[in-house]
Amino acid sequence: MDALELCRIVLLALLLGCAVTVNLAKSLLQAVIIFMAYSSVMCLLWILMESPDLAITEAAVGAGVSGMLFLLTLKKLHQIGGKDGEEL
Amino acid sequence: MGEWIRFWVTAVLLIAGLVYLVAGVVGNCRFRYVMNRVHAAGLGDTMGLFFTAAALAVSADGAALGIRLFLPLVFLWITSPVSSHFLSQIEYFTQKNLFRHMDRR
Amino acid sequence: MKRTFRSWLEGDLDLLSEIPDAAEVRNLSRRKLKEIHKEERSRIRALPVTRRVAHLETRAFQGWYRILAVGCCVALLGVFLFMTAHVTRYGEENPRASEVADRYLTRGVEETGAINAVAGMILDYRAFDTLGESHVLFTALICVMVLLQRDSKNMRPDHEDYFRIQQEWYYPTERDPILRRVGMVLGPGILMLGCYILLGGHLGPGGGFSGGAVLGTGLVILASALGDETVDRILTGKRFRWISFLALCFYSLAKGYVFFTGANGLENHIPKGTPGAILSAGLILPLDIAVGLVVGCTMFGFYSLFRRGSIGGQ
Repeated sequence: MDALELCRIVLLALLLGCAVTVNLAKSLLQAVIIFMAYSSVMCLLWILMESPDLAITEAAVGAGVSGMLFLLTLKKLHQIGGKDGEEL
Repeated sequence: MGEWIRFWVTAVLLIAGLVYLVAGVVGNCRFRYVMNRVHAAGLGDTMGLFFTAAALAVSADGAALGIRLFLPLVFLWITSPVSSHFLSQIEYFTQKNLFRHMDRR
Repeated sequence: MKRTFRSWLEGDLDLLSEIPDAAEVRNLSRRKLKEIHKEERSRIRALPVTRRVAHLETRAFQGWYRILAVGCCVALLGVFLFMTAHVTRYGEENPRASEVADRYLTRGVEETGAINAVAGMILDYRAFDTLGESHVLFTALICVMVLLQRDSKNMRPDHEDYFRIQQEWYYPTERDPILRRVGMVLGPGILMLGCYILLGGHLGPGGGFSGGAVLGTGLVILASALGDETVDRILTGKRFRWISFLALCFYSLAKGYVFFTGANGLENHIPKGTPGAILSAGLILPLDIAVGLVVGCTMFGFYSLFRRGSIGGQ
């Protein structure tokens, strides 16, 4: 097994972990951040699969714009931040 | 001989970078308060990535590739402190029991 | 029928809530059920004639709704099963598909003029797909606009949301000197990177969608660092609409010309240029720019509508 194969397996495991953890996250903010991490891992996987076009799009849209839209939605719904003194 | 020096310089720089990155990750998981976490995350973002990029630049063949490796580093050195600054500023403005978290010795 | 359906669409009447729950009905005894029917029939008979007709219409709509719902589901299921019956089995090679892929890879450069095979594929061979995708993005933007745009009706000063934003939630980030300076340095850099990705789509990785997304992100960074007014001066609401409209129109017309000539075996007069030069690859570069403008506008429009409920500060 060469290094690239090991990289790919680790990234796929991370991808699975992120995909499962999104559903188990305690708060919506955590879920959004894990989703952005999922997109970043997917971006690396696209590069390993030799499709840089998709990697650029995934990095800009998946990790950037869609995460930002999710955060703005959470802010509109007043879902960010717990009660006074409570830490996230 | 030259190859060996290059290998050891790369190894030392890479290990230093990894130490910083691991310290950042451990701190991010162990600390419980936002300010401390921001400090730990900033450590990995700045010093860890600097040493990693330096190691890769030393091991790269050709100066052009080596210099290009520092461009993302410049970007991150601009953005990471700003985001840390904003996180702490928002915490400072919104946290009502700020002094309870402070270490006043 | 017409009237009830109309009022259902306008939200005055909830037709579907009157459909009794199947489990609820099954749990009732037969005698109880008969009693309920009798009661209802007498209740209807007591109503004035116009209301009775409306009630009958409602019942007819409910019956039709069920039949149509089941019919649609069965039809869709049939279509899907029919399609899957014709898909190549797992592990077998699809002769037609591999032939197409070989053609794209071997003759792509000479037929489209683009070095990047992906750009040649999505903007030349499969340009119709991309046209649909940009229209989907535009439609999504219109939907978000319909849902989130603030106008005189939903922007009252005593509105709770508005009040809270004014009072405690809104933090004026553009007043921060550090963020201003960083925005001045980073914003133009990111916009330039977006232009590079946009214009180099036929030569290397990049193209309309990714370049447009980066452009939109750069505009978002400018808007949050230097204030919304700064971007409003560049991208007013009127310019926003015109850019989207003209880009989509140009795409449709240019591709329509190519489809027309291609389908009728005519010669199209678009020069391919030498592969590798910036001005080459026929229509791919202008189409890239059109798609990128639409995507960038859409991304910034999403941000703007989510953040303050208007595009270009109107």
